[in-house]
Amino acid sequence: APLKYVFLSFRPVEMSAKKPVPFLRQVVSVTKKVHRDPRFDDLSGEYNPEIFMKTYSFLDAIKKQEKEMIQKQLKKCRNMEQKEKLQQLLNRMTQQEQAQKKQQKWRERELSLKRQQRELAKQGKKPFFLKKSEKRKLELAEKYAELKRSGKLESFLNKKRKRNAIKDKRRLPSQKNL
Amino acid sequence: AAGRREEAAAEEEEVEETPQEKKLRLAKLYLEQLRRHGEHGQPGPGGGGAVRAQPGPDAPCPPPDPASIRVLRGHQQPITCLVISPDDKFIFSAAKDGSIIKCNVACPTGEVESGKRLCVVPGGKKGTEGQHMGHAAHVLCMAISSDGKYLATGDRNKLILVWEAATCKRLYTFTGHRDAVSGLSFQKGTYQLYSASHDRSVKVWNVAENAYVETLFGHQDVITGLDSLRRECCVTSGGRDGTVRVWKIPEESQLIFYGHQGSIDCIQLINEEHMVSGADDGSVALWGLAKKKPLTLVRQSHGTQGAHDLQQPYWVSAVAALHNSDLVATGSHSGSVRLWKCSEGFRKLEPLCDVPLVGFINSLKFSAGGDFVVAGVGQEHRLGRWWRVKEAKNSICIIPLKCRAGAPGSLAAATT
Repeated sequence: APLKYVFLSFRPVEMSAKKPVPFLRQVVSVTKKVHRDPRFDDLSGEYNPEIFMKTYSFLDAIKKQEKEMIQKQLKKCRNMEQKEKLQQLLNRMTQQEQAQKKQQKWRERELSLKRQQRELAKQGKKPFFLKKSEKRKLELAEKYAELKRSGKLESFLNKKRKRNAIKDKRRLPSQKNL
Repeated sequence: AAGRREEAAAEEEEVEETPQEKKLRLAKLYLEQLRRHGEHGQPGPGGGGAVRAQPGPDAPCPPPDPASIRVLRGHQQPITCLVISPDDKFIFSAAKDGSIIKCNVACPTGEVESGKRLCVVPGGKKGTEGQHMGHAAHVLCMAISSDGKYLATGDRNKLILVWEAATCKRLYTFTGHRDAVSGLSFQKGTYQLYSASHDRSVKVWNVAENAYVETLFGHQDVITGLDSLRRECCVTSGGRDGTVRVWKIPEESQLIFYGHQGSIDCIQLINEEHMVSGADDGSVALWGLAKKKPLTLVRQSHGTQGAHDLQQPYWVSAVAALHNSDLVATGSHSGSVRLWKCSEGFRKLEPLCDVPLVGFINSLKFSAGGDFVVAGVGQEHRLGRWWRVKEAKNSICIIPLKCRAGAPGSLAAATT
């Protein structure tokens, strides 16, 4: 750049003196808060369920303790509203536990299937891959086996029949549409 | 319609040319005046000021003798500002209670008693602005015209009072500012008054015609000081917004300078091209009109105070510069007035000597002839009561100078 322009930046800024200064003016520069969602942030890394379960396994003990606390409170409580709320909370906790266990079972099944396929591949046979529906069927078979062992199979099947009956009844043509 | 637009454009061109042409015309007039008065052998009317035509070798400056400092008392409350009349005969000072005192400086003949209080305008109680002749709030700034005719004072009640300097009679009142008036200065050679206020605006008034001229905006924080010389431009210091602005009135524009870190509290013009300012972080800066940053910055000019691990620099509460020379004085509450010398074309500021003076130096002014410097001393800072120095006396101190100050290097700096 020519020397003239280099020295121009050292001169004071010249501005118009006729524009009134607004009443509210920035005195200190305020930095905007950067909002991060750790779920979608690259800094958090990739989600690996096994590692996640291992590092946060200490939370299971805390959850158990909290469940016991709520059960005790539920026993002591007299207020109906609060009792309802506590009951809901308890249900939520139990259901979360069950969901976790279900996911854990799924992962285990996946792992066993993979192991099976590796064995077959080692032995030289062609590895076969199951569809999702087939995996669900396997899960159902396991569920039935579990129920049979605990002896609740009959009651489960009855409830299922009742639910199906109500659903089918809904689908039948009603009196109105004659 | 096209014809009218052309006319308007032509008029605009004419109007744009006028400030430069006007400057040229005024400069030629001034030169004519000087030539004429030079022939007659008289100094111009307040013109030129202390033109130290002999730069000469810089003689070693002896520090002023503390015993020769004259202390003039009279104010009950701390002095906030003072001005010296252009003929160096009278000193006007104002204090926090709104009182204004005119006293005269020593006369060599000894006829008139030196240091005598000639006029006292007492301050009024809060709420008596209508009835009272003087100020009813803290007087923050004063200015005197270059022929010594008018005195203007500004206070915290947003008023500017104009007095006749000889008789101390109140002439006019200028209202219009929306907050305390913190800076006043006359343009040398005219009766145009510039005022700066805590409402961040600079107003231009014409005292001879008792009229308001215009307002200039730009500062982002309260204006703490104002000064002007012969040119139709003034310089203001902007407190916490950290800028020093030079206002060019005919062109309606401002030049913005920045470089201080603390709140810039005081400013004075040394000559038409340079100024000195002081801040509340103890720094003193010399500025030139060509550079947006200070030419030189001296930090902690008065040292630091406080506990061992919590050292705070002394605030610079007043600066003064001997017109067209290289002598600068700064005042704080560190217990002394410090004299500095500008060297290397204002690129360096060297301390010369300290004059011991206890209290808050709220105002400093050099005499036009360079013979003495007057310090307005108070027990508190002129703007508030952060500290109180009990040992100090609310007074005016006249410090005689034996230094023969010279023009710093280039003579070009001393011309308008």
